[in-house]
Amino acid sequence: MVVKIYTTKYCPYCQMAKQFFKQNDIEFEEIDVSSNKEAAKEMIEKSGQMGVPVIDINGNIIVGFNLNAIKKALKIK
Amino acid sequence: MYDVIIIGGAAAGSTAGIYAARRKMKTLILTKDIGGQASITPSVENYPGFLEVPGFELMQRFQEQAIKSGAEIIFEEVVEIREKGRSFFVKTQTNEYEAKALILTFGKTPRSLNVPGEKEFLGKGVSYCATCDLPVFRDKTVAVVGGGNSALDAALYGSEIARKLYLIHRRDKFRGFEYLVERVKEKDNVEFVLNSIVTEIKGEKFVKSIIVKNVLNNTEKEIDVDGIFIEIGYETKVDFVKDLVKLDEQNQVMINKNCETFYPNSDKIHPGIFAAGDLTDTPFKQIVISAGEGAKAALQAYNYIHCMKPVVADWSKG
Repeated sequence: MVVKIYTTKYCPYCQMAKQFFKQNDIEFEEIDVSSNKEAAKEMIEKSGQMGVPVIDINGNIIVGFNLNAIKKALKIK
Repeated sequence: MYDVIIIGGAAAGSTAGIYAARRKMKTLILTKDIGGQASITPSVENYPGFLEVPGFELMQRFQEQAIKSGAEIIFEEVVEIREKGRSFFVKTQTNEYEAKALILTFGKTPRSLNVPGEKEFLGKGVSYCATCDLPVFRDKTVAVVGGGNSALDAALYGSEIARKLYLIHRRDKFRGFEYLVERVKEKDNVEFVLNSIVTEIKGEKFVKSIIVKNVLNNTEKEIDVDGIFIEIGYETKVDFVKDLVKLDEQNQVMINKNCETFYPNSDKIHPGIFAAGDLTDTPFKQIVISAGEGAKAALQAYNYIHCMKPVVADWSKG
């Protein structure tokens, strides 16, 4: 399982998503796009979105803190 | 079938959940996030018992306590409510739930401009959270719309990130703090577009430009931007409750001192529907007040379900 989350420093919905991963013992890689222009470009290309969070779960792209979509992609209840 | 469905999962909703579940009511909280507006507050310094706590952490504790008390939380957005006999049917994008009573606690949402292109380009250049999304627009051209402190904050923050920033405001005076206005004025890459409103957002895959109309002389011009940040305050989103409960002139749900609601355009209490928190006409929008009213709404819902009688103070339980 590869989980990537694209975030910015002060985004509360990114915090919510990260908290959710921690509570469910899911390892994730965080990419802060506020300090990394290349990563921002990668995120926009991947998701077609210019907003955070963007979450990549095994290639499943989820935009925003959409818990149902996150749970579905992680196959947890 | 639930005893009570609480719509909204922030201070009022979570507290209502704690109180409802402790009264052994089968309780469901439907929410689209954790903690609503309070979660976006970096530091809360006026919630008793906490000298200083990040808003998100406080709201997480609220929600944890609701779950621990026995409430169920499902993260879904409500789209419709129907009343049939003494039951309420709450429809979300994916499911439908039934309950004997409802507590409305879904607070306020960012106000939208209601112009063509706004919905279409949401997340594709249109954003309601400058703090979240501005960093994605490094070295790009953006517009911030609004005249209050949040718009001025966004402009100040954005001026450090964007190559060029337009601050668009429908008047020539700002509602925000004077020192903030002065600080924004000092920024070389910020251009003020005053007495002006945005009438359209245009683009292809992403936002490319906006149409701005000067309200004094009715002239329009097109400004090329990569992003537009809408910071024009908050409103109560009433689509799915406007036919059920009475609203005030600001679209806030009107309640009495027991958190009961009324039928639309009537002074008759609407049995079974209660409301608490920022979406009500209670004048002060504070976490502690929302929490208190959430508790009140839950206890009143308990009385409604079990006794169907007016509230009688009961000091023995809590």
